[in-house]
Amino acid sequence: MENKIQIENVSFVYSPGTTYRTDALDDVSIGFEKGKITGLIGHTGSGKSTLVQMLNGLLKPASGRVLIDGEDIWEKPKEISKVRFRVGLVMQYPEYQLFEETVRKDIAFGPKNMGMSDEQIAKSTETVAKIVGLDESVLDKSPFDLSGGQKRRAAIAGVMAMEPEVLVLDEPAAGLDPEGRNSIFAAIADYQKQKNATVIIVSHSMEDMARWCDNVVVMSHSKVYMAGTTDEIFERASELVSVGLDIPEITRLMMLLKKRGLDVDLGAYTVDAAIASVKKLFDENKDR
Amino acid sequence: MKNISIGQYYSANSPIHRLDARTKVLLAILYIVVSVLCKNVFAFALLLISGIFTVLLSRIPLRIILRSLKPIIIIMLFTVFINLFMTSGDRLLFEWKFIKIYVEGIYNAVFMAVRIVILIVGASLFLTYTTTPIKLTDAIERLLWPLKKIHVPVHEFAMMMTIALRFIPTLSDETDKIMSAQKARGAGFDNGGLIKRAKALIPVLIPLFVSSFRHADELATAMECRCYHGGNGRTKMTVTHMRFSDWFAMLLMVALGTAIVFINIYGKGYSM
Amino acid sequence: MGEPFIRVENLEFSYDDEENPIPALRNVSVDIASGEYVAVIGRNGSGKSTFAKLLNLILEPTGGHIYINGKDIADENMTDEDVFAIRRDIGMVFQNPDNQLVATIVEDDVAFGPENLGIPSAEIRKRVDEALATVGMSEFAKHEPARLSGGQKQRVAIAGIVAMLPKCIIFDESTAMLDPVGRANVVDMMEKLNREQGITVITITHYMNEAVRADRVIVFNDGEIVADGKPAEVYANSELIQRAGLDLPQCASLVEGLKAYGISVDGDCTTPEKCADAILRAIGGSRGK
Repeated sequence: MENKIQIENVSFVYSPGTTYRTDALDDVSIGFEKGKITGLIGHTGSGKSTLVQMLNGLLKPASGRVLIDGEDIWEKPKEISKVRFRVGLVMQYPEYQLFEETVRKDIAFGPKNMGMSDEQIAKSTETVAKIVGLDESVLDKSPFDLSGGQKRRAAIAGVMAMEPEVLVLDEPAAGLDPEGRNSIFAAIADYQKQKNATVIIVSHSMEDMARWCDNVVVMSHSKVYMAGTTDEIFERASELVSVGLDIPEITRLMMLLKKRGLDVDLGAYTVDAAIASVKKLFDENKDR
Repeated sequence: MKNISIGQYYSANSPIHRLDARTKVLLAILYIVVSVLCKNVFAFALLLISGIFTVLLSRIPLRIILRSLKPIIIIMLFTVFINLFMTSGDRLLFEWKFIKIYVEGIYNAVFMAVRIVILIVGASLFLTYTTTPIKLTDAIERLLWPLKKIHVPVHEFAMMMTIALRFIPTLSDETDKIMSAQKARGAGFDNGGLIKRAKALIPVLIPLFVSSFRHADELATAMECRCYHGGNGRTKMTVTHMRFSDWFAMLLMVALGTAIVFINIYGKGYSM
Repeated sequence: MGEPFIRVENLEFSYDDEENPIPALRNVSVDIASGEYVAVIGRNGSGKSTFAKLLNLILEPTGGHIYINGKDIADENMTDEDVFAIRRDIGMVFQNPDNQLVATIVEDDVAFGPENLGIPSAEIRKRVDEALATVGMSEFAKHEPARLSGGQKQRVAIAGIVAMLPKCIIFDESTAMLDPVGRANVVDMMEKLNREQGITVITITHYMNEAVRADRVIVFNDGEIVADGKPAEVYANSELIQRAGLDLPQCASLVEGLKAYGISVDGDCTTPEKCADAILRAIGGSRGK
């Protein structure tokens, strides 16, 4: 297990020295495993959005270090934009950043800023368009003529086209319908696999976290509340509830069944695992 | 950026703050008119004293008042110099090559400086410092109401102002987010020459325009759903009434004006 | 029983697109009674939002009729006053809370609707205070909307509608942009307005866990109503839900998955609580055999 990004004792405060002063991160240390999808969960204001903006140098820690492959990204502050190409950040509602005449040009904006050659850009655009599921015909349309779901995918493609080693997404599926959500997450998983990238996803949806993430980091009150593999975290579902976070519906069902005296697997946080566990209950009952 | 404050409203509970916004608009206008009427040293002295009295009454710290003068320092210095060197009179004070300074020049320069200070401090004291933008808009709407008779869209203008004020924080927030998003795609905003920098703003400005139009469009629908149909037949939740203090304040201002006119006529000080 | 509150008959709607109009609704007929709590679900572009916008005349039908309290609102003889009356009776809360708030102070915003209706000042004051209390935002009356959270803004928007004393409130994806806490607050609010004040609530949503809290679920697909019934009934038809591009509640998927093993769990399985009951009943039943 190797960490791609390591956060060391990072603190950050908004509006220091004013009445609006708020701690956003309080001595946070956490690693993000290489080649894995890590989910970042927590309430609004728990510090997760701030943490995300630390990862690509949009915000500078007030204290502490952010390491990528063991190197401090703020070693050479002038070259911070290079970090932004290595760590691609997709902000919330990224479709609001679209501006070019065509989708193709918009996707090329990041790669151009990087200094990629035209050939490379064309190749990269083709690859990411396929990953996010945008047809060739859509690429020559104006981004403003697309449907909501298509806009979202075009915007995500714009970051993927820079071929970042680390892809960070803040609520990538917010406001989309179930089909839209699934296609976004599938695209992210596909990118991860193709590039062996490290992926970090911020989301409020526990069901999506349970389904797509290898690891989960839980933030609460500007600190890391717990971190571990998805299995480990959802096994401690009652602790999630105690900090006021949601848990997958299916986990809640398992907890309810347990409470009423049934011997179910509390670690079942996906529908398939729950089916297996409940089926076992029925089988045992039949044998008796 | 959430902490952005619109205008320079200074929250306090002073007699000036409590005046009706309409009164304050009228007071500001009157005060400026009075300051233009001043013709001699005594008149100016009275004007200054009344000004200082009002500042004290408003409970706004002096440094905040002085801050409002910062942007006009250049203009003030320029006017002072022009008056100092360009006024000719009888009593020559100083001469060097082509530069001649007369006593009258000094008076003129000082008078002009005081006038500008009074203008700015008076306007910001009555308007921006002690009145919230929204109350100001309301007051202007009500003062200009008679103009509706000649088809001036007074209500529409005021509604536009209100909405603009409402959306300043929203849009400034959005600008921040879009800039971060474009920075994440490698856009740079703080390097290169003027043209390069202007060009770098395109990826921010276009999404901002698009988003403004979306705001406008959705807001218009939402307003329609809440039965908005212009100013006709519209009532107000809070109707402010002119109180005794409002009339008294205006009476004082008129008294000040009258006093200054008298001093102009009978005062034999240094007049300009 | 007289006329239903809302009666929709053979409603058609097409978006103008120069040559080829895009049909958004086809032959939609449905009745909604006064005091109902209805969830309208469907994928993006299924016509559910169009349906909502037709009900209070933001859009005008291209065919068919909508009767509100027996009055045909698509009638050409509708006066402005009639339109205002419809909009006063049927309020609408939209998706983006920022784009609904007009004023720079919370209470001024809540007053906006009643002011438009020309209600006397004292009465507006009373309504605004009551509406803010209803949504639990009284302590924020003098705040600027810009400093509130998304969920709080949305509650202010709801108060703005409540102050107009509507008979019905349509929530057009009003929870889509909120975090879980804000979303839960807004959904609680819907339920409260329906249960305590008898307001007809129509909520348009993607979230099935919101839909299952309604009394009735209407499913739109491709401009048509494909299902209409109690949440448990509608979600029992997993094939239809999937065809409409929607998710099953996880508990319903579990029950669906158990079927493959020949285990049947009967009853309402739309929420974990109900599903746990159903599973216990089913196990008890199998034990009895």
